[in-house]
Amino acid sequence: MKEEQYISVKTFCEHHGVGESFVRSMYEYEILHIDFEQGDGKLHLEDLPLLEKMVRLHNELDINPEGIQAIYHLLGQVESLQQEVAALKRRLNTLK
Amino acid sequence: MDFIDYYKVLGVDNKASTDEIKKAYRKLARKYHPDLNPNDLEAEKNFKRVNEANEVLSDSSKRKKYDEYGKDWQHAEEFEKAKQSRSQHARQNTGSGYTYSRSGGSAQDFSDFFESMFGGGSAGFGSGGQRVRFRGQDYNAELKLYLKDVYTTQKQTLTVNGKNIRLTIPAGVEDGQTIKIKGHGGPGIEGGPAGDLYITFSIVNNTTFKRDGENLYKTIEIPLIKAVLGGEIQVETLTGRVKLKVAPGTDNGTQVKLKGKGFPKYKKEGQFGDLYLTYMVQMPKNLTPEQKSLFESLEKTNLA
Repeated sequence: MKEEQYISVKTFCEHHGVGESFVRSMYEYEILHIDFEQGDGKLHLEDLPLLEKMVRLHNELDINPEGIQAIYHLLGQVESLQQEVAALKRRLNTLK
Repeated sequence: MDFIDYYKVLGVDNKASTDEIKKAYRKLARKYHPDLNPNDLEAEKNFKRVNEANEVLSDSSKRKKYDEYGKDWQHAEEFEKAKQSRSQHARQNTGSGYTYSRSGGSAQDFSDFFESMFGGGSAGFGSGGQRVRFRGQDYNAELKLYLKDVYTTQKQTLTVNGKNIRLTIPAGVEDGQTIKIKGHGGPGIEGGPAGDLYITFSIVNNTTFKRDGENLYKTIEIPLIKAVLGGEIQVETLTGRVKLKVAPGTDNGTQVKLKGKGFPKYKKEGQFGDLYLTYMVQMPKNLTPEQKSLFESLEKTNLA
């Protein structure tokens, strides 16, 4: 495990002014993976933008963790539908 | 440059209390927030407008100035120079400022109207007086390639916003497939990291083969005599001609598989899909009298 590829949950929470319970709830709702094996939880840097997005929804829009979980799944569906529409448009263009 | 009615933007009366403005703003922010509207430029535009309205109406000094000069805002600067606060409070750096990765642009893009009346924008949405670093905008680009180009892994150099990016395109990429190139999007704001570059491949198939993932399909014509008696034919594959044995009594529409003669499997070096050939038996036309007589002789044998 390369240390620089991870950020500790504690550091993240200090910077963003969120409680560790919020990050833990994101983990419990299977939105992202956190390694809790070595005491202090560690978040993979790849997941950082995702967690920051969830923090924004929480802090800026007052959305609670349950709402964030629902939004996370709906956004996934929106994005896959957008990709499907784009692929269909491309196929339609090749038929023209 | 047009006057912007910020009260109208937030849908509130010009006598609205701070709480009413906050409530209206939150409601609209939830509707147009870029995180909730991926790839929606219209929502992003609305979000910026709502954000700007809130920036003015939630700040008592800005609101006062806005109310005072209203449509005569163009002259406001002349009178206001002395008491120009120029959003100092919002520019205070409280030292925190971790990266915010807002997709689709930053909240700092204020209108010309705002810039002209209040000067440069402050950190904006949700910052609560902190200086916020924004991740740069993600860029999307489309790269058009021919099917034969993506048969082999190749290196290409793209120029995006004046920067050369060396790119390795693995063999077997699909039409419509998108790859992410980290850090090659727009520059970050206030020291934030750069966004990412997303490249979507548009694969133009100008070959006679149909592609479905890693498999290729083609219909080929074979002469009637070859279909009846069997024999050897030569067929084109993407990598050249190959010899193929046709079994005697081959039916029209028979499909044969040429293992490993299809398209490369994406990111599985040395592995290929298959080529499926469908035979279309050609009926002989314009027979010579001799050929016709031979067919007639054949008919007399009661050949089924």
